Amino acid sequence: MARSRPVFLNPMQIQMPVGALASIVHRTTGILLAASVPFDVYLLDLSLRSEHTFAQIANWLALPAVKVVALALIWALAHHALAGIRHLLTDVGIGSTLNAARRSAWLVNLGGVVTALLAAGVLL
Amino acid sequence: MLAFMVFVLGTLWLHPRPSYLEWRSWVGRPGVSIFVLIFFAALLSHIWVGLRDVLLDYARPAGLRGFLLGALGAGLLGTAAWVVWIVLRAQH
Amino acid sequence: MRLSISRYDPEHDRAPHLQDFEIEPADSDHMLLDVLLRLKAQDNTLTFRKSCREGVCGSDAMNINGRNGLACITRINGLKQPVVLRPLPSFPIVRDLVVDMTNFFKQYHSIAPYLINSDPSPQTERLQSPEDRDKLNGAYECILCACCSSQCPSFWWNPDKFVGPAGLIQAYRFIFDSRDQATHQRLDDLNDAYRLFRCRTIMNCSEVCPKGLEPAHAIEMIRLKMLGVDKEGGLEVHRVPPIG
Repeated sequence: MARSRPVFLNPMQIQMPVGALASIVHRTTGILLAASVPFDVYLLDLSLRSEHTFAQIANWLALPAVKVVALALIWALAHHALAGIRHLLTDVGIGSTLNAARRSAWLVNLGGVVTALLAAGVLL
Repeated sequence: MLAFMVFVLGTLWLHPRPSYLEWRSWVGRPGVSIFVLIFFAALLSHIWVGLRDVLLDYARPAGLRGFLLGALGAGLLGTAAWVVWIVLRAQH
Repeated sequence: MRLSISRYDPEHDRAPHLQDFEIEPADSDHMLLDVLLRLKAQDNTLTFRKSCREGVCGSDAMNINGRNGLACITRINGLKQPVVLRPLPSFPIVRDLVVDMTNFFKQYHSIAPYLINSDPSPQTERLQSPEDRDKLNGAYECILCACCSSQCPSFWWNPDKFVGPAGLIQAYRFIFDSRDQATHQRLDDLNDAYRLFRCRTIMNCSEVCPKGLEPAHAIEMIRLKMLGVDKEGGLEVHRVPPIG
């Protein structure tokens, strides 16, 4: 038939409502957190291996750059967990109408940031 | 998983900055060890469900998708084995 | 009033591009479709679908300032200018604002959008109580305009395997119809990794439906029914916020 037809699919030119934002950040934080797991298991390994490696890790965790990365992961975890709870609730039919879903998406997005700020206060 | 994380955070808050021996003997306690293993079992299954979803969405060619899912499965099983080894090693 | 409209002529253009238009709307022009028809006097090659001009046929669905809607019920008062008009996202573009709806309708047909009842036909109607009829509210009003499916990221990535919000709200309309006898088969048909379960409740569908329907909630109800849970309440129809 005709040669291949073009499509319009530029995400920068398509509106992203608050629920869509919560959803894509849920996915992205999930991938980030999953990627960090092998590294976290390695930290656990070293921390239990010997007095020497335990001390190494304690020193390393005190470095500011490391604390910033830890903070990013804490934000990721907070957002992912809150969005996950929102998902579980819509799965049982709570908050799956549009207005309720918009409100819960706002709560999730803000809640993640607030938790990160609180953690920043404790860590830094 | 949430309960476990709250438990660990709570314990650390009550006994901050443990020494190596305190840390290791705490993890080695049978109750804590089992809790750790259950946490990781839940975590790795959770990761499987989540990343499988991502692969189903974005990995369009069936061969590539099958391969990546296999790699993911193998990676998770390997991590599970690693965690079991770490926890066993910390036993008294 | 200023507009930027996506133009594409397969004979002459390699890719779609935006063309600027400037027009003085008449006093009687309230809706975007009125302005588009008046623009045809400036450039009669401007191509778009339209029919009922009252928001019930679904022909003039398009992407307006980033958000899908029906041109005939989109008020020009309050639209951010220049008004950017593009074809529905992810559907192959035939020309200008006209897209190929073949795959969209293929997904619709795949859910068996007709009553399945093997009892012998009665003299008049198959009876249904008003309560049972009310269960179809919020789903039967779907006009298959494709605003929802073309704003759904899951449908963008897997249009051939995911049924999409429009197909699924139509599936709801038959699954929850008391006169239909194929409920079990309908639910089985949707029960694989792709047909329904690509839905991640992103909820763009409910956001953009020009009739105020909520496909995301309908999909949720189908999921619960698959588990054997019959939730009370039915579907809501919300007031559609104006496109900005």
